[in-house]
Amino acid sequence: MTRWNDGADRVSAVSPDITDETNALPAKYFTDPDVWEMEKEKVFSRYWVYAGHENCIPEAGDYFTRTVGDKQVIVARDEDGDVRAFYNVCAHRGSKMVDDTPMTDPGNMGRIQCPYHLWTYDLDGDLRSTPRSFEETGLNPDLDDSDVSGLDPDENGLMAVNTDSIGPLVFLNFADDPPLSLAEQAGKLKSRLESLPLEEYQHARRYVSEVECNWKTFGGNYSECDHCEANHQDWITGIQLDESELEVNDYHWVLHYTHEEDVEDGLRIHDEHEAQFHYFWPNFTVNMYGTADGYGTYIIDPIDEERFQLIADYYFAAPELSEDEEEFVHTSRQLQEEDFELVERQYEGLQSGALAQGQLGPNEHTLHRFHRLAQEAYNA
Amino acid sequence: MTRTTSAFVAACPDCAERVTTDDPNDVVAFYRRHHAVTGHDVTWERTPDVPATTELTDAIDRLADDASGVSLGAVSAAMSDRGWSVGETLSAVHDRRLTGDLWEPRDDHVAVV
Repeated sequence: MTRWNDGADRVSAVSPDITDETNALPAKYFTDPDVWEMEKEKVFSRYWVYAGHENCIPEAGDYFTRTVGDKQVIVARDEDGDVRAFYNVCAHRGSKMVDDTPMTDPGNMGRIQCPYHLWTYDLDGDLRSTPRSFEETGLNPDLDDSDVSGLDPDENGLMAVNTDSIGPLVFLNFADDPPLSLAEQAGKLKSRLESLPLEEYQHARRYVSEVECNWKTFGGNYSECDHCEANHQDWITGIQLDESELEVNDYHWVLHYTHEEDVEDGLRIHDEHEAQFHYFWPNFTVNMYGTADGYGTYIIDPIDEERFQLIADYYFAAPELSEDEEEFVHTSRQLQEEDFELVERQYEGLQSGALAQGQLGPNEHTLHRFHRLAQEAYNA
Repeated sequence: MTRTTSAFVAACPDCAERVTTDDPNDVVAFYRRHHAVTGHDVTWERTPDVPATTELTDAIDRLADDASGVSLGAVSAAMSDRGWSVGETLSAVHDRRLTGDLWEPRDDHVAVV
């Protein structure tokens, strides 16, 4: 049952049973700034979140930065070829060390150096060197040089952030002891994606859009296609929506779309005669298209409770796109713009305060999972 | 952003992402977020009611009407008359602050010393 803010202000927890009357996340969780503050810790600091694609940092010393909520990390490839992540914070006095560096324009460094007092770290995070002023006591008359014991390279190294990967997709977890491993959080998404040659494809395009709605509003829109018939006329041409399947797993869900006419196997990265759109809690999607030999990802990055950035990346066999691939990306952009119109309109309604708790339909079980995971995170 | 009801307009020439706003400092915030994830710069498309200028401190002087400083966005909008992008203006402001010519009386506002 839809619950209005009619003075009674009645809301209830999201029921595990989608047929119950309280099956949606209360509206305040989309509009309240305190909820976004809570989500920084309870969602984005506890679960595995996407960092970037390791094909963009192929050489030792290649790096990019990634900001999640208030936290920024350096994601770098070390001398052994492993991808590591560290807070972009110097162990000396907390200075931010490297400038913002996007995955699409990565940097390279032999070592990580803080510009403030030139503390320098190896790519494994160990403290490599400090200036002589940290070893000699010339300015302090109360000490001799022999009083200085020196800094242990490991104890004074950078603060590491947990990393793990699904194929070339690198994920971060900020928790000291993550409640789930990446394999546990990803479930069959991991084996499904790892069966595909994702690492053979190169980053080709990135589009970043700012949208005026809560990140979960867009996440919910991505998770269902009941709106497609009315709003994505170009996109649904050639797709049999009636034969679509919405697959729900613990922390991800998949929208399978069957094409009316089969396309050549050479035109797609996967063998299934369908498109597969994976949503991975909390804010990442992997888009396996049915009509393109490539794939895409979305990062649905909150700016605050009422804005997010959609970071759309496209991967093809070569970074230089063919005319058909350009056209494909253009169509994908059109789809995004159509969705932005929808979710901004929805968010205007939510911000009016009229709705206390919405009502999901029985076929919005992917969305129901999304709302349940949010509630579970808030209550943890 | 997808709404177009406001006065100031800026866009990324590389990927055509556009921002429209009544507060030119929103463009500065947009530039910072966009640059952080793409490396792209942002250029002005519409800067109503901003005086034309050719020099940074001149622009700040002409825009200032009290001691609390001029918004970085308004400075950037003014310098667009000289063909400067948002990133180029912020870089120039940074350089001039480090030489002591400018200071920041409040967040993202600058004034001539």
